[in-house]
Amino acid sequence: MSGEAFGPGLSSYLTEMWETEVDVEVVTQATTGARRANVLFDAVTAERRHQLVATIVPNREMLIQPIGVEASGIAFGRTAGMPAAEVVSVNDNDDPLGGPFFITRRVDGETMPRQILRMVADDPQLGPTIARQSGEAMALLHAADASTIDSEITQPEPGVSPAARALALAEEKYDGSFQKSPAIALGLNWLREHLPGEAARRHVIHGDFRNGNIMVGPEGLRLALDWEGCHIGDPMEDPAWLCVRMWRFRNDHLEVGGFSDRGPLVDGYEAAGGTWDEERFWWWKVLGTLRWGLGLETQAREHLAGVHSSVVMAASGRRVAELEYDLLMLLQNELSSSAR
Amino acid sequence: MQDRPTAGELLDTIASLLSDDVLPLLEGGAQHKVRVAANLCRILTREAELGEALDGQERRLLFALAGPGVDSGGCSTQELSDGLADRLHAGEQGLAAEAYPAILEIVKGKLSIAKPGHDGFDFADEVAARATSGSAE
Repeated sequence: MSGEAFGPGLSSYLTEMWETEVDVEVVTQATTGARRANVLFDAVTAERRHQLVATIVPNREMLIQPIGVEASGIAFGRTAGMPAAEVVSVNDNDDPLGGPFFITRRVDGETMPRQILRMVADDPQLGPTIARQSGEAMALLHAADASTIDSEITQPEPGVSPAARALALAEEKYDGSFQKSPAIALGLNWLREHLPGEAARRHVIHGDFRNGNIMVGPEGLRLALDWEGCHIGDPMEDPAWLCVRMWRFRNDHLEVGGFSDRGPLVDGYEAAGGTWDEERFWWWKVLGTLRWGLGLETQAREHLAGVHSSVVMAASGRRVAELEYDLLMLLQNELSSSAR
Repeated sequence: MQDRPTAGELLDTIASLLSDDVLPLLEGGAQHKVRVAANLCRILTREAELGEALDGQERRLLFALAGPGVDSGGCSTQELSDGLADRLHAGEQGLAAEAYPAILEIVKGKLSIAKPGHDGFDFADEVAARATSGSAE
């Protein structure tokens, strides 16, 4: 479905909500993924022009958690003081766009990872600035009172720590995999032996804060995007995920999203009141690397089972080795010490 | 024996067709898929060339770790690999450190087909930073 096709539905929806005639001019469809569409549009009333974005899930079965939770996460982050979009409206019905959607006020900026890395290459200050602002944003999010978020948000069972939950989910995926990868088995065993304890309290985690889900401008970070995976979790999950090699886009020596070394991220996190925990950070970096390897294996399996058949999903199977390598490298000094 | 071109040579030809002739005609999602397909052809070209030798190496490495009582002829490479994974997953004492070099060698072998150059980065700075923070000791 092209962006224009959503125009009439958005127009009638906003006309009813605002109780005034609203014309919709679709600017463009920013992403064309099978799972969700981001439609940039202007809503024009007699008084003014609103620049907006509709995030639409054409097929309800693609939802990881209710659309209201994602929108609630964005609003929660914004209230906490981090750069997140302003939510205008949420609709959990299949009318009038064919699936659930929410509307946010539009912010302009760069979101393509390689373009961001090009901007960073042209301005030596920009990368460390984005890293520091990312650290600040995460610390503000993690410090906010989690009891005010939508109660349907994904969270561990009572008495189960976020780390134990993440490990159990990884074990489940591993059990279902085609080939039992020795590298992943070794990684799972390390994670089990080094499982961090329960955090002192409940924290809302963005869950997918990485190069590819941020919007930047020449002055720095503008938005944290894609809150689909927000959940109750461990504060070190967010910075660790941003530092996984996969999100460096070949700028491997710059640990933070390929745009900065780690110093400014830690400084920003602590300056905004967060407590950096090196041990947890490392555990979540290993977990994130291993989990992505299992995710790629799952994609290949779903391709072969005919669930989601595509050449891209098929190719994922041959990318597992990249994550196995990264995992083994992260653990290169760990195994001799556990054998002592 | 089939006449030339070999499987690898044919796959290389298809890869060139896709990236040089077909790709410029496309845009958006279709372009991405064809780019992925061209890359898969290149992977298969390397597999046709290197696959057999690497499979033999993997089998030797796995068999060396398999311990007594495992019949090398009666076990497929897949079974040897699954067996090692099961023992690692069960946390067999000392096995992770013993098997690590062989597992890394096997993974590097897979990368030489699937993504040459990925193993050019070794995480040395990150691992060293962790060591100096005192937590690895």
